[in-house]
Amino acid sequence: MTRKTIINAIGLLLFALAPLIAAATGKTFLVSLCTQFAIYALAAVSLDLILGYGALISFGHSAFFALGGYTVGIVGFHMSQGDTLLGWAGSHSALVVWPLAVIVAALVGLVIGFLSLRTSGVQFIMITLAFSQMVYFILVGLMVYGGDDGLAIDARNTLPGINLASPDVFYYTCLALMALWMVLCRRIVHSPFGMALRGLKQNTRRSVGLGYAPLRYRITAFVLSAAGTGLAGALWANYALFVSPDMATWQKSGEFMSMVILGGMGSIFGPVAGTVVYLGLEQATTAFTEHWMLIMGPVLVLVVLFGKRGIYGWLTGGKYHD
Amino acid sequence: MTEQARLDIRDLRKSFGAVKATQGVNLSVRAGELHALIGPNGAGKTTLLSQIGGEIMPDGGSIVLDGRDITHMPAQKRPAAGLARSFQISQVYPEFTVEDNAAMAVQAHMPGGFNLWRNARRDARLREPARRALERAGLGHRLDERVANLAHGEKRQLELAMALCMDATLLLLDEPMAGLGAEESLRMAALLRELKGQYAILLVEHDMDIVFSLADRVTVLVYGKTIFTGTPDEVRAHPEVRAAYLGEEDTSVGVNQ
Repeated sequence: MTRKTIINAIGLLLFALAPLIAAATGKTFLVSLCTQFAIYALAAVSLDLILGYGALISFGHSAFFALGGYTVGIVGFHMSQGDTLLGWAGSHSALVVWPLAVIVAALVGLVIGFLSLRTSGVQFIMITLAFSQMVYFILVGLMVYGGDDGLAIDARNTLPGINLASPDVFYYTCLALMALWMVLCRRIVHSPFGMALRGLKQNTRRSVGLGYAPLRYRITAFVLSAAGTGLAGALWANYALFVSPDMATWQKSGEFMSMVILGGMGSIFGPVAGTVVYLGLEQATTAFTEHWMLIMGPVLVLVVLFGKRGIYGWLTGGKYHD
Repeated sequence: MTEQARLDIRDLRKSFGAVKATQGVNLSVRAGELHALIGPNGAGKTTLLSQIGGEIMPDGGSIVLDGRDITHMPAQKRPAAGLARSFQISQVYPEFTVEDNAAMAVQAHMPGGFNLWRNARRDARLREPARRALERAGLGHRLDERVANLAHGEKRQLELAMALCMDATLLLLDEPMAGLGAEESLRMAALLRELKGQYAILLVEHDMDIVFSLADRVTVLVYGKTIFTGTPDEVRAHPEVRAAYLGEEDTSVGVNQ
């Protein structure tokens, strides 16, 4: 067993036991915090798929997070008005709404990716930022759905045989989806497609010289990444029972990026570690100061300067992630 | 002659502003021929290779590969048309292992390259041809080494191995010997000699000993123009070539190292 396997196993075990630990210590907020970890980690792993493996610095991933959330919010809103999706009574099922949220995020990701992947470097960062700002202002303008104030959601979506209203059950559902997404992403980055994407990151000129068409690979990765982030948004809407344009702010995109960088770009487990540390530190420091970024900022700077492979790289040792 | 030409370049022209980098290049590489391209620094050799490879689009003229006009074909489609290129400055994937690098060259022309599920590192269809090419290029003992850790000469060998993985009919080799030590140069020359006849090769090389000992024909490029094409002996004897390139007084050795 390598050091990496041990670290991954400990992490997974802690995640799995969190509700038991919370119950034993009486700190019930732990379940809620860990649910946030799982949801944000899902988004961070998705972002890392293009950031770490494709060197595509998207500064607009909050848009997909918000779109996933608003899909849940808007469907919930119409359900509470007595409407259904295409007249179907099961429209409140997670099996319908969550895939719908993923599809919405993926389709918008396809359009944004198609337009922005023609650029690279700083232009790409700015264009993705611009698109997410567009989504933000559209959401602010949607007065029917609360505009600036956001939209409260009556109840969580339903799953047959699973009571999502229970905090523990909802936590395990989020955890399972996060784990599933991680397995999927791991397969993707080791597949021929993933190798081609990572090749483009390391040396685009070489890849083109070998006959790889960059746009096809990058756009596919971008859509997959948007889809995962959309799912995270849908889960967040269910967790908070509230969506607002704040989900689409550039600060949110920055948070996702910080989590990935903190944890270690170009690894599947790194962003999870980054999410836990980022949100954990936020939680711990906001207890005694509202200027918690004063602590987070220097930590991020140190990680970027001295540990390019992030917390996960530091934990697992070695020189390379895979 | 035209029928058996793998590569046929007619009256190729390219300017960058006022600089005429390529002004009327005519060149044909026959099947199985090792064709050397020589010329002083700044003659436009790499610019010419970049146009054949598709990184730079020419202003005029035509490039025909195996009877197919590829003048305006996008760079990433040219490998499928039979073209493999090695670069003057090694273009490899530093984070991947040696075997990964060669497998990337195999994968590029394999169906199923867009598969998102199969593990690429355990796919024998990608790995076996990669290993064979690496063995051939003399890197068989370095398969699992990260490319970032390779010596300069080994990267040149890897670059050539990748070209061999590409299922090409024409190899464009841009100074494969550049920066190699004496022993490495000899090994590379031996490999080129072995490849000769199996591929049509267009070789840009500054080492005149190698050029004159390996090449079937030599084309001389000066100021973006092809001034002469002939056998090594003809080139050595040609007065204009001697004036332009080999140096008027010294006719025995290359001066442009």
